[in-house]
Amino acid sequence: MKKAIALALAGVMSVGLLAGCGSTGNSSSASTGTDAATGETSTTSSGAGSLSISWWGGDSRHTAYQNALAAFTEETGIQVDTHYGAWSGWEDQTSAALYSGNAEDVMQVNWNWLSQYSGDGSKFVDLNEYSDIIDLSQFPQSTLDACTVAGKLQALPVSMTGRIFYWNMNTFKEAGIEEVPSTLDDLYAAGEAFKTKLGDDYYPLAMGEYDRMLLMTFYLESTYGKPWVEDNTLQYTVEEIATGIDFIQSLEDNHVIPSLQTMNAAGIDGNNSIDKSEQWINGMYAGIFEWDSSATKYKGSLADPSGFTVGNEIKFGDKANGGFSKVSMGLAITETCQDKEAAAQLINFLLNGDGAGIMGSECGIPNSASGLAAAEAAGAVDELVLEANTKVMQFVDFQLDPTYESNDLKANPGGVYTDVFGGYSYGEYTDSTEAATDLYDGVTEALEDAAKG
Amino acid sequence: MSTASAPVRRSPFKKWCDQNTGLFFLIPWILGFLIFKFYPFASSLYYSFTDMNFFKGIREYGIMNYIDIFTEKETRTALLITFKYAFITVPLKLVFALFIAYILNFKIKFVNLFRTVYYIPSILGGSVAIAVLWRALFRDTGVINTMLGFFGIQGPDWLADRTWALFIICLLRVWQFGSAMVLFLAALKGVSVDLYEAATIDGASKTRQFFSITVPMITPVIFYNLVTQIAQAFQEFNGPYIITGGGPRNSTTLVALLVYNYAFKENEMGMACALAWVMFVIVMVLTVIAFSSQKHWVYYAD
Amino acid sequence: MTPMKLETRHKIARFFQYFVLIVVGFVMIYPLLWMIGATFKSNAEIFTGIGFIPTNPTLDGYVAAVTQNYGGDINIWRAFLNTYSYVIPKVIFTVISSVIAAYGFSRFKFKGRDILFSIMISTLFLPQVVLNVPQYLMYNTFGWINSPLYLPLWVPTLFATETYFVYQLVQFMRSIPHDLDEAASIDGCGPVKILYKIICPMLSPSLVACGLFQFMWSCNDFMGPLLYVTTPTKYPMSIFVKLSMDGDAGFNWNRILALSLISIIPQLVVFFCAQDAFIDGIAAGSVKG
Repeated sequence: MKKAIALALAGVMSVGLLAGCGSTGNSSSASTGTDAATGETSTTSSGAGSLSISWWGGDSRHTAYQNALAAFTEETGIQVDTHYGAWSGWEDQTSAALYSGNAEDVMQVNWNWLSQYSGDGSKFVDLNEYSDIIDLSQFPQSTLDACTVAGKLQALPVSMTGRIFYWNMNTFKEAGIEEVPSTLDDLYAAGEAFKTKLGDDYYPLAMGEYDRMLLMTFYLESTYGKPWVEDNTLQYTVEEIATGIDFIQSLEDNHVIPSLQTMNAAGIDGNNSIDKSEQWINGMYAGIFEWDSSATKYKGSLADPSGFTVGNEIKFGDKANGGFSKVSMGLAITETCQDKEAAAQLINFLLNGDGAGIMGSECGIPNSASGLAAAEAAGAVDELVLEANTKVMQFVDFQLDPTYESNDLKANPGGVYTDVFGGYSYGEYTDSTEAATDLYDGVTEALEDAAKG
Repeated sequence: MSTASAPVRRSPFKKWCDQNTGLFFLIPWILGFLIFKFYPFASSLYYSFTDMNFFKGIREYGIMNYIDIFTEKETRTALLITFKYAFITVPLKLVFALFIAYILNFKIKFVNLFRTVYYIPSILGGSVAIAVLWRALFRDTGVINTMLGFFGIQGPDWLADRTWALFIICLLRVWQFGSAMVLFLAALKGVSVDLYEAATIDGASKTRQFFSITVPMITPVIFYNLVTQIAQAFQEFNGPYIITGGGPRNSTTLVALLVYNYAFKENEMGMACALAWVMFVIVMVLTVIAFSSQKHWVYYAD
Repeated sequence: MTPMKLETRHKIARFFQYFVLIVVGFVMIYPLLWMIGATFKSNAEIFTGIGFIPTNPTLDGYVAAVTQNYGGDINIWRAFLNTYSYVIPKVIFTVISSVIAAYGFSRFKFKGRDILFSIMISTLFLPQVVLNVPQYLMYNTFGWINSPLYLPLWVPTLFATETYFVYQLVQFMRSIPHDLDEAASIDGCGPVKILYKIICPMLSPSLVACGLFQFMWSCNDFMGPLLYVTTPTKYPMSIFVKLSMDGDAGFNWNRILALSLISIIPQLVVFFCAQDAFIDGIAAGSVKG
């Protein structure tokens, strides 16, 4: 008898465990929306609903967003929950969240994500439908077109961006160079001067794998006068690409840029960008080739920022200026968003309204006319960023194709660019043609994948 | 091992209950196994034969993933490196652990203090904090190289050198030999003193005694440590993820990290599952080899 | 061999033993000592030498580590709180469910037990990475991703899924003589009562050990939270340290190291308070058969 009771008990216990689990499961999935959205920081809810938003960036961008969101809450009573972090590893999380339907209501998206994750238009809302809330007329039609994927305006462009050189002129002066390098020969001369006057550990420029790919594209487009990719087809032959790889290697050979091994040794890799290295902070690496919107970040990490200068674009060939601009990032509303009107309101606030004044140039020079006006009125446009942006936009003559930044190509480690430029710098290839073949095949494959959708 | 059964007449149901009491206690475990282990395990096998992608849907893919794994450079390198990692780390860790345990087993003063000091890394070693520390120690201008500099040695660029980078990941795990050591120590204490005394009378040297008495007597622990350490080594993730990010040039991209990259960086779930399965089969084969070799070298006293 | 000579040999051997122990011990512990020292150094000083005593001690690193709060979303204290809010349930549930399973495996004979037992053992060698992807998809269908209650991190432990502990406890239970529960059974105790009246008290050191190990491992766990916790306000310590490492404004080594050190202090304290339980626990359970 006792035994039977005991058995019953054991059974009940296990069932109890199960039941307990089941019920917690249910209640939580029901409450995810509200609990997660309000968060513990928020004060008593005003009942005006709540939103969530996610972005990546540096500490200063985090602060700008938080201030802007506080202003938004004050104005509308809508609480906004936040999710943010640094770029490294960000895309892993975001893509998983998008897939699992856990993505935030409003997302800061990289431009290529629109085609990569929502090529069929299933993830992001068509913002044309909210044109009564968001003033679309503030944006140039060309950038709106760039954000239109699968016939839907899936995001609004925050800013346009391109790559440009930045120099730490303090180090250049120590090497006896007063002028900002403006030609390829200037670069070679700077490499020589750094090596002889300052020593082997000093370089006028530092570039990771992706930076090299970008600079090579600038070089090729300028030399051959045609875009990298057009109509989803790579426009360059293996031989042409090989000359580009030789060009990058010549920079390494002439002490213009450190080898990737040297940079890895300094702790710079896929997880740790150049601005975190002592070599950059202390001026031993005196130049970078970066997005115009990154100016403040790189300046901010310098021990002595006084010599930080926006450089000039360099024209490498004679067929064209070369280089490209692209939509740097956009704000999008996910299809899983519960309150799309409120989300649209938030986007309008951040891009066209008072929020743009608070964001200033944190995400680049605002693409929206009224946003730029608000930022300028608030004095929140960084001179450096403006200068860099102006120089880039005046110079470049090509647009970027969305596949260029696809993860298969760009991921570090594992992407094609990383493997080709890393492998070449580490001496894993016998010659540049072999590396160029890998790059050609990798890009072609990525383009085919993109076409398949 | 049997429950006490009272010699009373019972109904068939009750009798069944009596015979299967244990099963009732296993209900949670069985459910857990089915839901959290078996189902994912089986579906992972299924996915491995598809080209499942978070954003591109799922399609039957035959054994293409497996062919890719054995033909593509990236995966082959990862498998090779993982073997290298395991075959450096496991023996080094075990030899070290046994050596220190052997010394500790001589009536040493402060044995507890030493034991604690050796054990601390095992407790903390898995944490992110230690991975951060490792990065600091092995930078080009880090503590290790400065220290080597005192001896006039120009240390390598640990984090940038394709050979050394893997080595520092190994070192992080060897540093955590404490848990294996504690097991060895307990086993050594269990070896009967009589055996040594008899051997001493026979004039056997200490080294001889170590290899012909100590080692055979503790083979069960050696075996246990070996099997668990191999299983662990093949799953290493935190070290490469945080310390080197898999670099330089993928030289520390162990299989577990590559599976993660495939799954959550490139959204290639099918490939990730196939690779995970290849690794599982490898671990299984090694384990089976270890278990079947047991009878040749593992000595169980009872 | 004269006694005198034996004596000297002994002394040399002794010296050698201590020498090795101390040198190895120093090497083992030096990284941690250096880390402690480095947290009191300025960023400029950290990589200038190998000594662990700072020349100009500063608390900057600690101040930065403690005050860093990402606009009030997450700070070090909240990260601690978050960590323990799932680690503690996880520990408790692991111990309870593992004991129940181990009891079923070790104290009863029934048809299919040996098969179930070998299945259990084989899951010990099942790499987590094989399960990651399908588990992620499964938790996603449950709606558990980014769950504010950290469901994916602890619910499975309700079902004795931590095989290692089940296995350990089976080993422990086997070493408890059967006479005891037989006697109790004759006195009229049912199996459940035997479990908590007789087995559990005898097993309590091992239960503590299991709990402690699970505590350490759960605090160290990085991949679980990385996959399943995405809101900064919910970040546990391991992810917070990583977030702090990724911060864009240069690399403040003293801040990162101070934060790392603080993050492991609770674990160190627990270890020092309960080191015997740890060491005996690990030594006693693993190898009996």
